[in-house]
Amino acid sequence: MELTSILIIILVIMGIALAFSIGANDETLSALVGANITKFKIALIIGGIATGAGMIFLSKEVAKTVGENILGEGINYTDFMLLAVLISSIIWLIIGSFAGIPLSSTHSTIGSIFGVLIVYSLSQGGVNPSTVLNYEKLSSLVISWFLSPLFGFLFTYLFFKILSKFFLSHLKGMNQIEKSERNFSWLLLISVIFAEVWVGANSAECIGLFWGLKDKGSLTIEDYYFFVVICGIFVFLGIFTAGRYVIKNLASQMTDARPSEGFIIQISSSIILMVCTLLSLPISHSHVIVFCILGLNAGQKREIDYRGLGKMAIYWVLTFFIAGILGGMIYMGFLSVSLI
Amino acid sequence: MPKKELKKMKIDEITQYFMNKTTKQNMKIIRAIDYLIIENFEEFEKDLKYVIENKKEEEIKRAFESKIWKSKMMFSKADRVLVFNRINKIRDLGEILARKMLLYRVVFPDEQFKNDIKEILELLKTVLLDLASAVKSIGKDLEHSYEVSQKIKNEHLKLRNKAWELLSNLYNYEMDFLSRTFLYLKDLIEGIVFLADEAENFAGYLQFLATKYLIFE
Repeated sequence: MELTSILIIILVIMGIALAFSIGANDETLSALVGANITKFKIALIIGGIATGAGMIFLSKEVAKTVGENILGEGINYTDFMLLAVLISSIIWLIIGSFAGIPLSSTHSTIGSIFGVLIVYSLSQGGVNPSTVLNYEKLSSLVISWFLSPLFGFLFTYLFFKILSKFFLSHLKGMNQIEKSERNFSWLLLISVIFAEVWVGANSAECIGLFWGLKDKGSLTIEDYYFFVVICGIFVFLGIFTAGRYVIKNLASQMTDARPSEGFIIQISSSIILMVCTLLSLPISHSHVIVFCILGLNAGQKREIDYRGLGKMAIYWVLTFFIAGILGGMIYMGFLSVSLI
Repeated sequence: MPKKELKKMKIDEITQYFMNKTTKQNMKIIRAIDYLIIENFEEFEKDLKYVIENKKEEEIKRAFESKIWKSKMMFSKADRVLVFNRINKIRDLGEILARKMLLYRVVFPDEQFKNDIKEILELLKTVLLDLASAVKSIGKDLEHSYEVSQKIKNEHLKLRNKAWELLSNLYNYEMDFLSRTFLYLKDLIEGIVFLADEAENFAGYLQFLATKYLIFE
């Protein structure tokens, strides 16, 4: 078997594994499980199907951004580039997990692509680093990473303020509140399904790889759709088999959370995700959700841990550059052992 | 109330019914001490025996437990169990006080002591009646429950100060340190204070519930 075929097989397996890990790390369902709205297994099945469906039917434009549009005119991925991108983002995410730092796989992937392409341009004669990437697309992407959490914050803050002014603050007794929260729990169910669909749709780091393989001619369009469906199935399996532990753990800390609060956070974050997905922008769901929670806290005049937030922001910014350096170094390693 | 009717009640209604029963029991204790002051031992014992022998609370507890586990409440279930348990704690403390009081027929040392005890009892009565009102309001008006709980805390403070004063007077009486009268009166004052302390704790919990549930503009 040729080296290229072996590489493609490795990339496909890694892409599918990435889809599985997206499901395994998805914590969106914890709000639903914490509120005890449905049975645990049913919640997993509903969430898994929604994420899988989002990935299968709605991820194409975001995948196109990562797999094609981010590249400069006339530039295509090579198998080693894709491999370097995957290895570097996986290494950085593993380091982040061991260090207990929540990192974005999207930022990590795009950072790695940036690093790999810069090294590629420097190593190839005639390829200018200023044209190797579509900097217009890249800058709109980076801007969206800053704007999406901010919009998440503002949207949640305003949504809470409006809901509280016209409805929540008028509830006076436990009976009334219980009844209202019971109704909100159904809205939470709908909003979580909605959120899961857009989480699946915005999971660019996985589907983008397959688009990249299709764009360079290693996969046909039929192959691409076949693997997207496989990824959708593996996202479901990831949630159902491994994600359940993350979800259960987080849900056990959320038993006191109000379904109305969960609904406000989920609907706000999913709207941001939806808008970004429709604009073909892969963003970090976890960043958006953290800022949505902060927006709710600000609305409720709760204390905000600015120190922890600052620390998190530093890692968010660093992710792009560290993943870039890592990606570049790995690609350089491939070059130096003359595999390319 | 017959068992059948108890089973038909909603969780909120059972809680209120239990609170009413507990308040009634504690009012009987206060009345019993009033009888003790005027040395009407027959009525005193009658009231305290009512407290000890009334076993209705077991039925109420069972009805509440069976309702709460089957309940579809998803948000306030745990808090309702805690409210019910706190009422039960008040009831238990009342029963302990009643049992201790039945151990001996005391005669108060003088009129001043009687008046001071009466004053404490008035404060305890206010605290317990306000607590009943605060518990009744949690279903419909948590803001009211919060305000009444604040009043309970203020009344409790007055009761505490008065009780310290009374205890200090008790220690300064010319009587044998180990006499039954001294021990009985000391236990009586402490029993009243424990009951008031528990009511104050309960009021604090009700204020916590109000801040947890209410959303202000």
